[in-house]
Amino acid sequence: MAAEVSRRDFLSRLGVTVGAAATAASVPLVGAPALIERAHAQPKGNIPDTPYKVGHMTFFTGAAAVLGEPSYKGHILAAEEINAQGGLLGKRKIETIKADEAAGTDANVKEMRRMKLSEKIDLFTGVISSGNTPALGPEAESLKLLTIFVDGCTDFLFDKAVLNPHYIFRITNMQSADGVTAAVATAMTWPKVRRIAHIHPDYSYGRNAFAHFNIVMKKMVPGAQVVSEGWPKLGTTDFTSHITKAIAAKPDLLVASVWGGDYVAMYKQALRYDMFKKMKFTSMIAFGVAPHAIGKDHPEGVIAGVHSNYYFNYPPQDRWPLNSAFVKKYLDRWKEYPNFQSEGAYTTLMLLKQTVEKANKLTGGWPDDEAIISQLEGASISGPAGYLHIRPDNHQGYKDAMTGFSVNSPDYPFQILDPNRIITIPIRNITAPPGWPAPSGEDTRTYTWIDKTWPTVKL
Amino acid sequence: MDTLLIHALNSLLYAAVLFLIAGGLSLIYGVMRIVNLAHGNLFAFGAFVAAWTVGRLVGGPTPTPLLYLVLLAGPFVAAALGAAIEPTLLRPFYKRPEEYQLLITFGLQLILEDLVRLIWGPYPLTVSSLYEGMGSLNIGESIYPTYNLAVIVVGGLAAAGLWAFIYRTQFGIVLRATSQNMRMAQAMGVNVNRVYVQAFTLGCFMAGLGGAIVVPQQGAVLGMGVDALILAFVVVVIGGLGSLEGALIGALMVGVVRELGITFFPEVELAVLYLMAAGVLLVRPAGLFGRA
Repeated sequence: MAAEVSRRDFLSRLGVTVGAAATAASVPLVGAPALIERAHAQPKGNIPDTPYKVGHMTFFTGAAAVLGEPSYKGHILAAEEINAQGGLLGKRKIETIKADEAAGTDANVKEMRRMKLSEKIDLFTGVISSGNTPALGPEAESLKLLTIFVDGCTDFLFDKAVLNPHYIFRITNMQSADGVTAAVATAMTWPKVRRIAHIHPDYSYGRNAFAHFNIVMKKMVPGAQVVSEGWPKLGTTDFTSHITKAIAAKPDLLVASVWGGDYVAMYKQALRYDMFKKMKFTSMIAFGVAPHAIGKDHPEGVIAGVHSNYYFNYPPQDRWPLNSAFVKKYLDRWKEYPNFQSEGAYTTLMLLKQTVEKANKLTGGWPDDEAIISQLEGASISGPAGYLHIRPDNHQGYKDAMTGFSVNSPDYPFQILDPNRIITIPIRNITAPPGWPAPSGEDTRTYTWIDKTWPTVKL
Repeated sequence: MDTLLIHALNSLLYAAVLFLIAGGLSLIYGVMRIVNLAHGNLFAFGAFVAAWTVGRLVGGPTPTPLLYLVLLAGPFVAAALGAAIEPTLLRPFYKRPEEYQLLITFGLQLILEDLVRLIWGPYPLTVSSLYEGMGSLNIGESIYPTYNLAVIVVGGLAAAGLWAFIYRTQFGIVLRATSQNMRMAQAMGVNVNRVYVQAFTLGCFMAGLGGAIVVPQQGAVLGMGVDALILAFVVVVIGGLGSLEGALIGALMVGVVRELGITFFPEVELAVLYLMAAGVLLVRPAGLFGRA
């Protein structure tokens, strides 16, 4: 058992920072503007002008279209931007073939195969659901299909389904980061909470959020206990029973990972029960939906997570030009603000562009997939959300995890994250390090790593 | 005691909406012998129409009490849609084997789902000011949204109205006669085509009413139609397809069991409804009030 520490030491060891003042430390600014201004270097060798075909699979129908639509819009924005410069290496225009992820896992695997074999796609990307990446990952490996998943963030993709990835990569932070970030933010903000009620959607995402929140609370807020659980089906919009049950348990804190339209329905119903006046509230993904879907009636001052990835007003736009440029372009193109899926899909193509250029400098001509893969492993890119690093061992994208507090601002017709109170945590401090053994049971690497190595806060 | 009352109200709330959906589904099957797989999407269509129409008017000069009436745009548009669908898409298939009807209503489900997305986009529509507008009641230490009570009342009125309509009016007699023996009714001079389109329209109206009435509380979201259809099937499987009493009892049973599940067995909230349906099917394969 690791030694006991004080909560303050613990938080500083984790590198948790809060507020706009912290951004200078977590997001170094020097040189960033130069990245966008960088002159367009001439590519080496002969580049074919055949289109570069990209398959983008995401939800176009059903409840998850609230996340699928922003993903597709981010992707198209990046593709149009690259094509306006002549395409990849100035020659190969990006041609997008889209597919509806709502078809179901088996159909999605077949569609991926069809895209590779009949449409001859060069890159596969997109995917929202954690239920799909563990099936699509192994298929991409066997098809030898270069794949960069935007989301589908389950830890099990690289913990279990594909232990040694070669062709597949992923951009967004891993699922466990959501539960861990929410718990760290809670322990820091409301260290006195003891009685905790949970409402999570009943599938892998909600289960994962619940497990990781609890293991971190065990370490950071010893004595906290779960007093009520609700497991609504994904797609539930009547939360009356879940809300009355949670209130009846008289908790200090409600924790929820309900998202999208479900979440909008849930918070509006909870308001009528004065739920947010009776307890604190922490969410993993409340503000992950497109920003304008959250009304000004949303409770202020709650921890409103963004899937630990990105919210459009952070990094602060006046201090991180890549973000201000992205938000402006997105707003001009789509008449709405981006969410974390938009940013992920956009950064995916920008990462591809940067990698292809790097590989071209080394090999000349159009780089083959092996050359692109070798440059993707360990790649770093400055995206709208800040720095993103691709870990070479597991092909997982890492960027600082973030969450924040909800606030109304006269500048926006919807509620936003308070730009002065953003919480960031260096991702390496809350995910299992390279080489940590994959557990055999249902636990994730990060779960067992936290369980075995984190100290317990002394009260 | 208060807790018990709240549990009872929660169950009734869920049952009221479910009855509106499942009642329409069952009515259509009872009269026309068509399993309408697009029924959930008519519910969703009603919800989106109501949300959109009220959303246009909120904050305008329209007085709030009138906005509750504007919600009725949902059921009326759903009914109009039904009145257009039956003669054009369903009628040509009555003489064909049942699988054709399943295919056509399944196709219709996909089309309606896409149509909703095309018209209103992927983001949820909400008009929660109507939900807020009615305030809350105090029940012991707890508070309870008044709007939920209104939903329960509307569900109850719909059930009573439907019963009176079918068992106390001339049209109801014709409807029941057609349902029991379509050929005999036709031989007695009943215009079966007209009865079919009326029954289908009424069923769609109920679905649209269900959709409109949940909008202030839950909003309108993509995918709500399919979820509603599945739950409606659970209800009619328990109650017996084609039976209105069955739909009512089925909806109440689902409401109560779901509430018990959420309260005492949260881990199996999803499974408990299907387990109950499976149990009923084992004992009474045609459902509690089924005729087969």
